[in-house]
Amino acid sequence: MSAVAGPYPGPDWLERYRSRVNADRELGVIGRWFTATFMLTFGDNRHAVKVVEGRIAEVVVAPRFDVRATFGFRAPVEVWAKFLSPNPPPLYHDFFAMLMRVPAFVLEGDSLAAMQNARALHRMMNIMRETGAPDA
Amino acid sequence: MPDFEPIAGRYLTVAIDGVDHRIFLEEAGRGLPLLCLHTAGADSRQYRHLLNDAWVTERFRVIAFDMPWHGRSNPPDEWWLTRYRLTTAGYLATIRAVWQALGLDRPVVLGCSMGGAIVLKVAADYQDELTGIVGLESAAYAPGRYNELLHHPAIHGGELCASYTYGLNAPTSPEASRRENWWYYSQSGPGVYQGDVHYYSLDWDAREDIKTIDTARCRVALLTGEYDYSCTPEQTEQAAASIPGASLTIMEGMGHFPMIENYRDFRPYLLEALKQML
Repeated sequence: MSAVAGPYPGPDWLERYRSRVNADRELGVIGRWFTATFMLTFGDNRHAVKVVEGRIAEVVVAPRFDVRATFGFRAPVEVWAKFLSPNPPPLYHDFFAMLMRVPAFVLEGDSLAAMQNARALHRMMNIMRETGAPDA
Repeated sequence: MPDFEPIAGRYLTVAIDGVDHRIFLEEAGRGLPLLCLHTAGADSRQYRHLLNDAWVTERFRVIAFDMPWHGRSNPPDEWWLTRYRLTTAGYLATIRAVWQALGLDRPVVLGCSMGGAIVLKVAADYQDELTGIVGLESAAYAPGRYNELLHHPAIHGGELCASYTYGLNAPTSPEASRRENWWYYSQSGPGVYQGDVHYYSLDWDAREDIKTIDTARCRVALLTGEYDYSCTPEQTEQAAASIPGASLTIMEGMGHFPMIENYRDFRPYLLEALKQML
């Protein structure tokens, strides 16, 4: 597989991810109270994920400072690539695992708000893994 | 005929450090006593596959009890005036009290996670009265799991604790089994998981104690899953290195909850460890 063109993870992946989240039966059950904007930062590439009742309403790529986010996850692209790989190595298979054991993976912002939404947020992050690698 | 399982549950009042506690325990089988210790914030339901395994119950009297504050065991009187905090000493006293109340003769003590940790101390302190220990996900020192948000009035603790521990399963374990453990975790009382982790991550350090374990007197089998990030394979390897004669197995494709997350794949490892005890 050749190197991914353009910024990681790229618009095709983001659309696939959004479609999967918004079609997810489990989030349909548990997502009702998850309304927040959170940041996903892949290396230098920032994305604001606007969530309304467990569905992704919009992903703002490279948001300016007028897009407010409550919390976010930030890591180098190499870390995200392991997380999104089909068979992630131990310690890279779950965001809570990375928060404990991969120092380069960080939770930014209001961790209380993140943990208030832990169940739906965890599901949403696991759907990132189910979406697969950006170049798959 | 009703489709009963061979597991029988009972209640037992037992004095722990002089205070009566009403404990729930379940058991099945006959033979060498096998006392099973659940993980932090969970209960003995995690051992349902082991309790239903005929190979095991034909050779062992399997007993799994809910720790005080957990599952169907009550907290002690005036619990509402206490902030639940498990300690190494309190955990050891609880195990010893149940062991003595049941009159278990030279048992095997098996535990997972915080239970896998304390069995190391059980072996160090009581090695002349044991047949052996089976440590699942055992570390002599395991900092890093404690955090303040695990018990917070603005957070649903059941959902957080269950989600916080869900990734400790291997991603390859059957989803229904991983979800079952999620459900058990979601049911623990407010602050109980945090109180257990207080022991596990802040109070627990048996790195010196384990050097005294003589495996000629007390057999030691340690098994850890490769996906366990709470007690990593390296942490168990460090413990095993301090216990000459201990057997060490790193279980491929397994996480932190082998007896509940993937019993089918865990079973060959378990039987191998139990054969060492017979």
